[in-house]
Amino acid sequence: MTSASDIDAVLAGFAADVGPEGPVSVCGGGTRRHVGGEVAPVTRELRAPAGIVAFEPAEMTVRVRAGTTVAELHEALAASGQRTALPERPGGTVGGALMVGESAIARLGLGPVRDALLQARYVCADGRVATGGAGTVKNVSGFDLCRLLVGSLGTLGLLGEALLRTVPIPESEAWFRLEAADPRQVWQRCRTANSILWDGSATWVLLSGYAPDTADDRAILGRLGDVADAGGPPALPPHRWSCTPAEAAAFAGGNGAAPNGASAGIDFVAEIGVGVVHASEPQPPRPAAPGVAELNRRMKETFDPTGRLNPGRDPLRRS
Amino acid sequence: MSPLLAAAARRLGRRSPRPEPAGEPDAALVAELRAAIGAERVRADAAARYLASRDASIYSEGTAGPLCFPVTTTQVSACVRIAADHGRAVVPRGAGTGLSGGAAPLGRPVVLSLTRMNELLSVDLDNGVAWVQPGMVNLELSRRLAPYGMHYAPDPSSQQACTIGGNVATNSGGPHCLAYGVTSAHVVALEVVLSDASVVTLGDLTAEPAGYDLRGAFVGSEGMCGITTAAAVRLTRNPAAVRTMLMAYDDVSTGAATVSAIIAGGIVPAALEMLDRRCISAVEDFAKAGYPRDAAAVLLVEVDGPAGGVAASADRVAEIARANGAVSVRVAADDDERARLWKGRKSAFGAVANILPDYYLHDTVVPRSRLVEVLEQVYEIADRYELTALNVFHAGDGNLHPILAFDARVPGTMERVHAAGREIIEASLAVGGALSGEHGIGVEKRDYMERMFSEADLDQQSRLRAAFDPHCRLNPGKVLPSAHSCADIGALRAADGKLWG
Amino acid sequence: MHLGLDDDELTSCVACGLCLPHCPTFVITGRDTESPRGRIALMRAVQDEGAPVTGEVLRSMETCVQCLGCETACPSGVPFGHLMEGTRAALAAEGHITPRWQRLGLRLLRHRRLLLAGSTLLALAGRLRLLPMRRLGLPARLPLRRGRHRASGSDVWLFTGCVMDAWQRHTHLAVQRVLEAAGVGVTPTAGAAPCCGALHAHAGLAPDAAAMARQVMAALSGDDRPVLVDSAGCGAAMKHYGRLLGTAEARDFSARVFDVHEWLADRLDALLDSRPAAPLELTVAVQDPCHLRHAQRSHEAVPVVLGPFVRELVTLDDDGLCCGAGGAYSMLEPELATAIRSRKTAAVERSGASVVASANPGCSLHLAAAGLDVRHPLELVAQALDSGGDG
Repeated sequence: MTSASDIDAVLAGFAADVGPEGPVSVCGGGTRRHVGGEVAPVTRELRAPAGIVAFEPAEMTVRVRAGTTVAELHEALAASGQRTALPERPGGTVGGALMVGESAIARLGLGPVRDALLQARYVCADGRVATGGAGTVKNVSGFDLCRLLVGSLGTLGLLGEALLRTVPIPESEAWFRLEAADPRQVWQRCRTANSILWDGSATWVLLSGYAPDTADDRAILGRLGDVADAGGPPALPPHRWSCTPAEAAAFAGGNGAAPNGASAGIDFVAEIGVGVVHASEPQPPRPAAPGVAELNRRMKETFDPTGRLNPGRDPLRRS
Repeated sequence: MSPLLAAAARRLGRRSPRPEPAGEPDAALVAELRAAIGAERVRADAAARYLASRDASIYSEGTAGPLCFPVTTTQVSACVRIAADHGRAVVPRGAGTGLSGGAAPLGRPVVLSLTRMNELLSVDLDNGVAWVQPGMVNLELSRRLAPYGMHYAPDPSSQQACTIGGNVATNSGGPHCLAYGVTSAHVVALEVVLSDASVVTLGDLTAEPAGYDLRGAFVGSEGMCGITTAAAVRLTRNPAAVRTMLMAYDDVSTGAATVSAIIAGGIVPAALEMLDRRCISAVEDFAKAGYPRDAAAVLLVEVDGPAGGVAASADRVAEIARANGAVSVRVAADDDERARLWKGRKSAFGAVANILPDYYLHDTVVPRSRLVEVLEQVYEIADRYELTALNVFHAGDGNLHPILAFDARVPGTMERVHAAGREIIEASLAVGGALSGEHGIGVEKRDYMERMFSEADLDQQSRLRAAFDPHCRLNPGKVLPSAHSCADIGALRAADGKLWG
Repeated sequence: MHLGLDDDELTSCVACGLCLPHCPTFVITGRDTESPRGRIALMRAVQDEGAPVTGEVLRSMETCVQCLGCETACPSGVPFGHLMEGTRAALAAEGHITPRWQRLGLRLLRHRRLLLAGSTLLALAGRLRLLPMRRLGLPARLPLRRGRHRASGSDVWLFTGCVMDAWQRHTHLAVQRVLEAAGVGVTPTAGAAPCCGALHAHAGLAPDAAAMARQVMAALSGDDRPVLVDSAGCGAAMKHYGRLLGTAEARDFSARVFDVHEWLADRLDALLDSRPAAPLELTVAVQDPCHLRHAQRSHEAVPVVLGPFVRELVTLDDDGLCCGAGGAYSMLEPELATAIRSRKTAAVERSGASVVASANPGCSLHLAAAGLDVRHPLELVAQALDSGGDG
C-alpha cells in the first residue's frame, strides 16, 4: 500500500505546498501553457519537485519527479540505451508532458504518451497524496487513474512523481526526405517508420530499428520516390490539430469549403498514420457531444469539487 | 451537486421500486423487459438464471435476476432504463470466462448477456481500426482480420472464447502484451451505455481527442462504469517474421535470470513465458507440445517484427539464454511447430485439471527482478499448506500465475487454499507488486484492495466510478472494498435464496 | 434426482469456458443453457444440489447435438459425451425425454425388412406427393429401388447399417467398388448386423443400444476380419462398444472397427495403382463429420484418400464446427439444426467448392437438404475410377 516510505519527504513537501484549499496551479516548462485555456488570475503557481528517483534498466521503468525536464530524463536513460515516449521540448517537464498528453513526433513507433505512465503519485484536491496504478509494468488492480490523468491538464490532481515505461533506443535511426511519393504508401510498406511527416508535397520519414531492417525500408523509400538524407524533421507550424489518420493523409486547405475547415494556403505538416496535423492556423473548434461534455464536467466536479486545481484550464477546450 | 446530478437524483428518487405480484418475483420487470426487447430475448427461468449467476471463477454469491440477450445498443439502453425504473442493478456479461467473479452477480440484478451482439461492424484500414460489437470473440476477430494481413494484438489465454466487451471491462492482457501492450492500448473509441441509459462515445478516431481520456478511464472498469456496445479497436499488422524458441533450464532461478538479462539487453520480445516442471508435465499429457519433461522450467520466447531484427534478436536471446545456463534452446522450424509450442502454453490452465480435480489460478505482478524470490515463496507457501503449486506465467512482465491444484472434496481444503492464496498475494505486494495483472479485482480481490492502496488512493478510484455511475447501478459491489463504495451496498438487494421453484 | 453420473467425471469441468466457441448450439444462441459448460453445471445442479428437472433443464439437454466438439476443445479432458449419454439415459428412464413415438421409431431400425419396406413406401408417398417430405425433415427424393449387395471376398466386413442402407445404398456400393479397386475382397454385413445402436445411445435408450451392440458383435464374431464402416456416426458408436458394454470381448471388437478412410489411408498405394490418368475436374470441400473429427479423431484420413482423385480439395474455415445433422437431431430440433447448418453452408460458399464430401450419411442428407451437392468421399473416388480419366 501507499505507505509513508512510498511518499518521500519531497512528495510530502509538495503536498504541503499545495495544501487543502485555495486555487493552485503547477507550471512546468511553460511550453504548452495556453493549451485548454489560461490559468485564472489569483491562482497560486507552484512548481513540481524535480529529480530522478530510481532508474532500473532491467525493469525498463524509471521513477521520476514531475518537475524533471524530459531532456534531462532522456539524457540519464540514454546512458543505458533507453528512452521514453514523452516528447522533448526545450524546458518541457515530465509532468507537463503527461498532463498535456501530446505525443512525440515519433508516436507512430513509440506510441502515445498515455501508454507510458505506469504509476502516478499526485496531490488530490483535498491536499492528500494519492497513488494511481502500480509499481509494475502490468497492472489491472482497480480503476485506471493513470489513463484519466494523462492529458487532464492538472485539473484532477497535481502530479508529483511518475513511474514511466522505458523503451530501448534502436541501433539505427535516421530521417529521410522523400519527394513525389504517396505518404500512405510509406505507412503501409515501411515497418520501421517511427514517424512519417507530409506537408502536402514532400514526405519526411524517420526510420528506426535494427540496421538491416532500416536499410530494407530505405530501399523501399527509394522505390516510392526521390529520397535524400534529412538532418531531422521539417519545421513544424505552431498550431496542433487532432485529426483522424485518414483526414491527416488527405489534408488540404480550401476556400472555407474544405471539410476540415482549413483556409486556402494553410501551411501544414501532417503526421501520417497518427492524425496530428501541425498547421499555420488553429483548428476550428469541434464541440463535444453533449453526453461527453457532461461526463467531462462530472469528472472534474467529482475529483475537484471546489474547482481549485488549475482553474481556467479545461481539456475540452484544447486546440 | 450539479444540476444534472440533482435532476437525476430527483428522477431516481421518484421511482420507488414497484411492488411485485405475490408469488411471481420480477413478473412486472420481466414483462417490461420482454415488451422492450422481445419475449424470446429475456429468460426468467431457474436454469438460465442459475448459469448466469456464475462465471469461470468460484464466486457465486448472488443470484441473477432476469437474463436479457439484447441485440442492439437501443435494446441495451432499454434494459438499463427498465432496470433503473425498478430500482434494480445491471450486470453485463460476455462469455463468462473471467476468473475474479467480475461477471458473477451480487444481489439479484438484471443480467445482460452481450453474446448476441457479436458482429464485426466495419474494417477501416485508412484509420487502422475495426469497429466491433462487444460479443465478438477475441480470436474470431483476429480470424476475420486475417484477410487484411492484420490481427488484434491482445491475446488472453482464453482468447478462443472470451469476448472483446469482456476484454475491455478487464483490460485484458495475454502473452503478446509484453511488446504490444494490453487492451487499453488497442482500444481507440468505445460506444457505451451509461447507468442513466444514455449512449455516449468515449474517445474518437482522432489523434488527440479533446477532454479527459474517458476511454482510458473506462477500460478495465469491470462493468461498473457502463456497458460497451461497440468498440473501435486498433488493427495490428501481422509481423513480417516470427521466431519462437523454447529454452529448458535445470532450475527456475536460472530461467528467471535469463528473463531479466534479455530485458536488460534492450530486447523486448513479443512474448516471454515460463512454465515450471509440474506444469510442463501437465501440458505434455494434454497437448503433446514436445516440452522437455526433465526440465525444471522452460521459457517460451517469441520475437517478431521485420526479418533482420528478428534474426538478430533471436540470436541474441539464444546467446543470453546459454550464458544464463539454458540446457537446451530449441527454435521452432515452421508454423506447425510454433503452433504446437504455443498450444502447450495456452492449454496450461485447463490441463492442470488432469492432475487434481480443482485448481485456483492466481494472478499477481511483481517487478521482474524479484521473480525468483517470489516464486520460491510460492512453492514454500504451497508446501506449508499441503497444496500442489504449479507456475505458468508471463515472465516478461513479471505477471505471476501460480496455480494451486487440489481436491475440494477433501474437507478443510478450501480454507487452506484461501489461506495460501492470501500469503501469495502478501508476498507479491511485499516486493512492490500488484494485486492483479490481468484477471481484475472483481469479488476475488476486492477485500485486498486496502492492502495495496491507501484510503486516499481508493477514494480517488471511487470518484472515477462515481463520475460515470453516481448511483452504483452497474455491477455494484465489485472492485472497491465496501467501505469505499457505500452506495453499492444500497444497490444490492438481498438475493432471493430460492432459485429453483 | 441422481443422474447416475460419475462424480470425478462431473467435477472434472472447471468451467473455464474454452468449449463455448466449439459448441454449435452456443454459437447460434449465445446462451449458457445451450453450452457444454452450462449443461454440465445443470447436471451438477440436478445431481448434487437437488435442483428439479425443469422444462428448461430438459431443453438444455435435448438441444445438445452430441457432436463432441467440446471434448476436442476441452483442456481438462472432460468426457462430455459420456456425461450427456448418462444424463439422457437417466432422463429417458424416468420418461422425461424421448417420447414413446420416438422410441418406437428407433426400435424399427432393428427390423431391417420392415425398415426397407417402410422406406420404399415412404419414397412412394413422397413421389406421389402424399407426404410433405421436407416439412417432415425427410430427404425430398428417397430411392424406390436399391442395388443388390453381393460379397466379393472375405478380407473385410463392410458395415451397412440401417437407414443408410435403405436410403443411401449407392454409397455402400461405391465404397465396395473402391475397396475392390484396392484389391480387397468385401463382405457387406447387410441383414446380419442390422443397426449399430448409435441413435439409441444418443436418445438415452442405453439398454436398446447395448442390445444392438451385442447383436452386431454376435453377427460379426466368427472371425477377426476388420470391420470397415463408411458412416462416421456408426463407426464412432462401434468403436465405443468397449466402453458401452465394458467387456473384454466388446473392447476387442471395437479394436477391429475402422473408418473406411482410416483403413484405406494406410493402404493407399494399392488404390493409387488403379488411379486414372486425370483426377475429377472438381473443387471439393471436405466436411468433417463430428463423429469422425471429434469422436474417432480420424478425419485427417479423408483428404489423404480423396486428394489424389480430385483436382482440388479445399478446407473449410469454420474450425470443424458441427453442421447440425446429429443423427436424428435435424428432425427433432429442426430450427436449431437449420440455423447451425446455415453457418456451414456459408463456409462452403466462402470456400468456392462446387461439391462437398461428407463421410457421414446424416450430415450428407442434412447438407443436401440445403441445396448443396454432397457426396461421400469414396463415391467421388469411385466416380474417378470409373471415369477412367475422362474427367
